[in-house]
Amino acid sequence: MARLSIEHLRKTYGDLTVVNDVNIDIADGEFLVLLGPSGCGKTTTLRMVAGFIAPSAGSITIGERSVTTLPPWKRNCGLVFQSYALFPHMTVAENVAFGLEMRKIPPADRAPRVAEALRLVQLAGFDERYPRQLSGGQQQRVALARALAMEPDVLLLDEPLSNLDAKLRQEVRVEIRDLQRKLGLTTIMVTHDQEEALTMADRLVVMEKGEVRQIGTQRELYERPADRFVAGFIGRSAFLDGDIVAPGRFRTKGGVAIGCAAATRIGAATLALRPERIAVGGEADGLHNRFEARVEHASYLGAILEIDVSLSGPDAIDKDRMLLQIPNKAGIAEPKPGETITIGWAEDAGLVYPREG
Amino acid sequence: MSTIAPEPVAGARTGLAGLLVVPATLFVAIGLLGPIAILFRYSLNQFIPGQFMVDGLTIENYVKFFTDSYYLTVLARTVRVAVMCTIACLVMGFPLAYVLARTQSRFKNLLIIAVVLPLFVGNAVRAAGWMTAFGSKGALNASLMGMGLIDQPLEIMFTENAVLIGIVAVNLPFMVLTLQSVIEGIPRNVEEAAFSLGAGPAAMFRRVLWPLALPGILAGTILTFILAMNAYATPVLLGGPKFQMMGPLVYGQFAQQNNWPFGGAISFILMTATILLTVAAHLIVQRRYR
Repeated sequence: MARLSIEHLRKTYGDLTVVNDVNIDIADGEFLVLLGPSGCGKTTTLRMVAGFIAPSAGSITIGERSVTTLPPWKRNCGLVFQSYALFPHMTVAENVAFGLEMRKIPPADRAPRVAEALRLVQLAGFDERYPRQLSGGQQQRVALARALAMEPDVLLLDEPLSNLDAKLRQEVRVEIRDLQRKLGLTTIMVTHDQEEALTMADRLVVMEKGEVRQIGTQRELYERPADRFVAGFIGRSAFLDGDIVAPGRFRTKGGVAIGCAAATRIGAATLALRPERIAVGGEADGLHNRFEARVEHASYLGAILEIDVSLSGPDAIDKDRMLLQIPNKAGIAEPKPGETITIGWAEDAGLVYPREG
Repeated sequence: MSTIAPEPVAGARTGLAGLLVVPATLFVAIGLLGPIAILFRYSLNQFIPGQFMVDGLTIENYVKFFTDSYYLTVLARTVRVAVMCTIACLVMGFPLAYVLARTQSRFKNLLIIAVVLPLFVGNAVRAAGWMTAFGSKGALNASLMGMGLIDQPLEIMFTENAVLIGIVAVNLPFMVLTLQSVIEGIPRNVEEAAFSLGAGPAAMFRRVLWPLALPGILAGTILTFILAMNAYATPVLLGGPKFQMMGPLVYGQFAQQNNWPFGGAISFILMTATILLTVAAHLIVQRRYR
């Protein structure tokens, strides 16, 4: 195992910049997740680390070894694909032994390591099966065992759970995480699934449009999102567009005045509020910001009720709509459109970002 | 997802599936099996000059073939040419098929058409073109001699090499298209997995790509081998009268010698040799790689 360092990594195709100046340091044994919407450059970044795409600029260092120009077969990166990519003409044991065979390890020494790798992924005894005789989850475990058997410096997971059904995904998620901790594997995983990312990562990298928007722990990303994109991408946020008119004073487009401790720089801004910081009904009593909001639309989502409200009156040009999420406590009926509910939040609850567009 | 397996063939339960195979079956039965059966019967007949064909039940035509070194030489030459052509097609066709299968180019369809393009020109037309280009007084020799680079015309036409090149040119598209479709079915990820596990390009090819492409390699080699064994126009036009292969030999017996029984026997020997060699190659390859 080793630390991994990505410096000023960049990939362009003609005029198109797919990855732009990515800098990431991954500590020995750390589980890092690259998270972002599709087309954000996360997979390209992973494939550059694996050696399948040559970077346009920048460097990749594994341990003390610069691998930037090395072909994939000299990088010692264990790779697990979304589509498993097992060798269909080889048995499970042959698949797992492949990396050892390529390293010219004698057959007698391979067998115990293959058995150990299969035991780690709970597939002991499946040696002589062929991949087509296994379920999707088993195939993905074989792929993992194959990557582990060669004792890679870095483990790279490319959306490894996306092809599995929901229940299995949970199981394999926990298995991968436990194995990674137990073996102290330096790991990069790419995913677009936020829940997956949050449950598995030590640290997350949020990418968008080829750039790193923020690197941090789950708590850092959720409580101090670096920009509006991260605030909307990690967890949910209610957004209100407006202006900061004076320090501590935010005014929505519809003209509603809001007290906000985070508002310091005067100018166009967006206020972001986490749903759990917004109190509804009697709970809003005594809060600095307290409004009568008009219900536009309400959805019943099981554990929560999602309510679209507008802050300003029905005559306002800009209605200042925002989305509330209320825990579905016993006895709560979802409000009807047109009804008025009381909502409120503390002065220190919101975060502000420069307004886009 | 449905838990009930769909019918493997639409209409299997109503007997429609049986009806669907009838036209092709009839066509093959009338167009191929019938003539073969008749031909086999003829090959057991006697040939008496002047009397054409006399009904009989003799193996003398087969004996004649296998005891005359001339005919054995023709058979050996045909097999040799077919084997060499097939190997050449495989060696040249695999890289081309691989590139065609893996390319992301938007001109991919054009590239595939370019591979098939040679087939738009018939064997005979192509061979005639080569005769004018590579003959002793053809364009190439005339230019080289005109420039004073050579004194004697290069002997290209009417050699075994000319026939080899000619057959390869015709058969290559068949090999490439067969391989291309099979390689396209091999996920690129599998190759990448091999690379990430430490396999260089050569090891990846040997342990992953080749075994997975094997069905296509078998299909392609069988196809080109059969075509080469039975080549007619190319050996006649590019090999000249002295370069005999089995295809032209059969035709000569029927059309020129009017010796239908012997022609029938040669046909059967050619067919049997083709089938035996194909099956043998298939078995050897399967035993090694399965």
